[in-house]
Amino acid sequence: MQELGKSEQSSLRVTPQGKGRVLIEKDLSSEEMVLNMGPQHPSTHGVLRLECKTDGEVVIEAEPYLGYLHRCFEKYAETVDYPGVVPFVDRMDYLASMNNDLAYCIAVEKLLDIEIPRRVEFIRVLVSELNRIASHLVAIGTYAIDLGAFTPFLFCFRDREHLLGLLEWASGARMLYNYILIGGVAEDLPKGFIERTREFVSYFRPKAVELQKLLTENEIFVKRTRGVGMMPADVAINYGWSGPMLRGSGVEWDLRKIDGYSVYPELDFSVCVPDGKFSDIGDSLSRHLVRAMEMEESLKIIEQCLDMMPGEEGFNPRAAIPKRIRPKAGEVYGRAENPRGELGFYIQSDGKSTSPLRCKARSSCFVNLSAMKELSMGQLIPDLVAIIGSIDIVLGEVDR
Amino acid sequence: MNTGALLPNSFPFVMSTSLNAWSDALSELYLFGLPLGLVIIAAVPLVFIALYALTYGVYGERKISAFMQDRLGPMEVGAWGILQTLADILKLLQKEDIVNKSADKFLFVIGPGVLFVGSFLAFAVLPFGPAFIGADLNVGLFYAIGIVALEVVGILAAGWGSNNKWALYGAIRSVAQIVSYEIPAAIAILCGAMMAGTLSMQQFNLLQEGPYGFLHFFLFQNPIAWLPFIIYFIASLAETNRAPFDIPEAESELVAGYFTEYTGMKFAVIFLAEYGSMFMVSAIISIVFLGGWNSPLPNVGSLALNDWTNGPVWGAFWIIMKGFFFIFIQMWLRWTLPRLRVDQLMHLCWKVLTPFAFVAFVLIAVWEIYVK
Amino acid sequence: MSNRIAEGFTMSEYFRDIGSSITTIMTGMGITLRHFFNAVKRKGGAGIDEDNYFKQVDGLATLQYPREAIPTPETGRYRLYCDINDCIGCKQCERACPIDCITIETIKVTKDDLGVCGKTSGGQQKKFWVPVFDIDIAQCMTCGICAAVCPTECLYHTQVSDFSEFRRENMIYHFGNLTKLEAEAKEKKLEEEKKAAPKPKPKPAPKAQPAEGG
Repeated sequence: MQELGKSEQSSLRVTPQGKGRVLIEKDLSSEEMVLNMGPQHPSTHGVLRLECKTDGEVVIEAEPYLGYLHRCFEKYAETVDYPGVVPFVDRMDYLASMNNDLAYCIAVEKLLDIEIPRRVEFIRVLVSELNRIASHLVAIGTYAIDLGAFTPFLFCFRDREHLLGLLEWASGARMLYNYILIGGVAEDLPKGFIERTREFVSYFRPKAVELQKLLTENEIFVKRTRGVGMMPADVAINYGWSGPMLRGSGVEWDLRKIDGYSVYPELDFSVCVPDGKFSDIGDSLSRHLVRAMEMEESLKIIEQCLDMMPGEEGFNPRAAIPKRIRPKAGEVYGRAENPRGELGFYIQSDGKSTSPLRCKARSSCFVNLSAMKELSMGQLIPDLVAIIGSIDIVLGEVDR
Repeated sequence: MNTGALLPNSFPFVMSTSLNAWSDALSELYLFGLPLGLVIIAAVPLVFIALYALTYGVYGERKISAFMQDRLGPMEVGAWGILQTLADILKLLQKEDIVNKSADKFLFVIGPGVLFVGSFLAFAVLPFGPAFIGADLNVGLFYAIGIVALEVVGILAAGWGSNNKWALYGAIRSVAQIVSYEIPAAIAILCGAMMAGTLSMQQFNLLQEGPYGFLHFFLFQNPIAWLPFIIYFIASLAETNRAPFDIPEAESELVAGYFTEYTGMKFAVIFLAEYGSMFMVSAIISIVFLGGWNSPLPNVGSLALNDWTNGPVWGAFWIIMKGFFFIFIQMWLRWTLPRLRVDQLMHLCWKVLTPFAFVAFVLIAVWEIYVK
Repeated sequence: MSNRIAEGFTMSEYFRDIGSSITTIMTGMGITLRHFFNAVKRKGGAGIDEDNYFKQVDGLATLQYPREAIPTPETGRYRLYCDINDCIGCKQCERACPIDCITIETIKVTKDDLGVCGKTSGGQQKKFWVPVFDIDIAQCMTCGICAAVCPTECLYHTQVSDFSEFRRENMIYHFGNLTKLEAEAKEKKLEEEKKAAPKPKPKPAPKAQPAEGG
């Protein structure tokens, strides 16, 4: 992925795009222009700033500048007690708060070494898969809007609304749930939740198909994304990519399978990897496809959870929550599969305090974004927008 | 084309059905030695653009897009939000007219003006029904295509004068796009001109007149006419910077393209120009291929639907309706499709539309000469 | 510039591209047109916890907010409310709050006042006056941690989700049940009691409370 012979003398600039494709530009190079994209640009998904060196419409180099949404999560986590960190974890990747909570709680529970009731595990998997669909809907919708299609975006948000409603019903909040707690969940599922979720699954399936027809299969959309932002598997691994990004490059890497945390090993689902027929493996379209396919897999997981969940009358989901959380001295790294990749928490305890000595978050968005420079080399500005959209960053998690 | 037998400064002309009766009568209307009638002729399209942009253009598009997206659209100002555009105009009027410090002030100010004039001048040859046309030029169609190209100058002036990198990108893209797409558009229109054998707008309409309504339209007179029809429609989308060819103002890439820096009334004028040219291309396509102001309804037996629905007022109705129909399709496309990339846009123009336009040109020529 | 150009593409690919463009664009336009004609229907106002929720979601999804709103489910966790009559002044919520948006000041109840101070609805004797119980609702992030630790369940989130104010001061909710004068009087009374009986006073009052309260 390096530019061959990019200099004043050469007449050709060749950028390999992977899978035998190359981007060839005849040397019409003119004066370089520094173009500042963001933090208020419509398609930087928040407050990302890219400093692009451009030659005409061709981006020679794009450097991401971060920190506009930095909220000192890691330092702040050292000042509050363990359960008090959870609301802040919610606010990292605000589109997938349940998954964030799950990752954090897995880490602390590993440190505490406590047993979680089985029903709680199912509830956790259920809500985090619901949240994964909601998050992917935002990713797909905003990707559509990046590419100029407004309608799929609103269709996505219309369906996400039902998911938020479900999660609000379960947890009490629409976005920042604080629902998954260390050792349990805040409330048991309300009565009727399981039936309503089933109804949602049957409601959503045809809508997802419609979305595919409207957006994914559209020839213009395919043209805009296919072969754009190619990332070979080895480079992706070297960058530490995870989640749909890495799977888009053809690597079967899903922490739900690899770590097998919670009750995922009991559930039947497949790791979504593009087959390379509809897209070129590693391009933006593959990453989009992975997300689209994962929504279907999540629906499957949800259905299984609903079937397999042990029903208990008068179940107290807070029963296993420790009264006072003061872990033994030690350190732990817990991780979970977020909609955006591997979200990990490294927590260090000194054994005396009720707050972590160190709480480091390994944010998937931040790591995925780090390849921006590599991806953007030699792309057009519209392609740059397509690439940023395919990374699906949430600046809250990038900056923390 | 003055068919004569008209009394200037008299009102029976309202009832007259002869060609260009209203506009001819108006052109001879003087008040205190001033050509008031000419002013009215010029004002009619202007008022029309303003009214249609306010109602159908802005409000209609909002509602149409909303309904396609499962939304309600504007609902607050007036019943069903009908006065929303008026509220917007009031807002735009009150807004500060900002000219940024490092802008090229002259270009920045004249940009929107040139843009609007370019789109407005084309209305001179647009027949609003059989009795009204600004100027029935014998090269009306050629003039309409040519004068719209003036918009390019306005866009370039606006984009360059803004001294904004995004605006510059938008302007350059827009110029490249409009200039390129004029070629397939012009060839497609030439196909229609070949069928008609004239370039006069009113002649186009007269040639598609007949008792069988839509069957006399050029689109149905020639088995290949659908090809230039579609080509011109696609090219006209690009010429008016409508989606999926809205890359000059691609809001997710270029913020707002060439009018990023504009505020207040200048911004409104740019929008008015866009809506003006949207209607203009829709009217051109309906004149060339769909009979212009002729009623599409056929005479069926004793039901003389075609005769009943033709006339100066009906003519104005039909051409406006046909224009609105194409604008609806433009909106429909806009709210369905993603945006093309710059190079794909050029690919479509030079490698798809232009060759096909040539093919259509040859086929229609063959048909017109040997078959018809 | 496009990859396809660099690759070189065949005539069949060219026509296939045109064909698939037309068909997929038509499909998409069909979908949007279907939605356009479906606009005569509107989503109903049923909440997610009602049985017919997914039967009424077809059509336009907009709810016009101030007049119509998504009903908040019973479990909704929004505006924080304190039923001060049940508050025993244990200050657990104040300590649990991750962002310190709760401020509590307590005065120990003198022995003769215990009856006046009364009991909670759970039948627990209240041992503290709570002259100041302020919640800065503008800071509150509705995490629910305070409600979870409250021993008498007097602090809870209500379903009220819209409580915007024009002035920031109005966002500080005062739940204290004593006026300033009353508070001063009670404090004086406590001082006098202390003077009268110089016993080891339970100065760090909050800590003692939960133990006593059980």
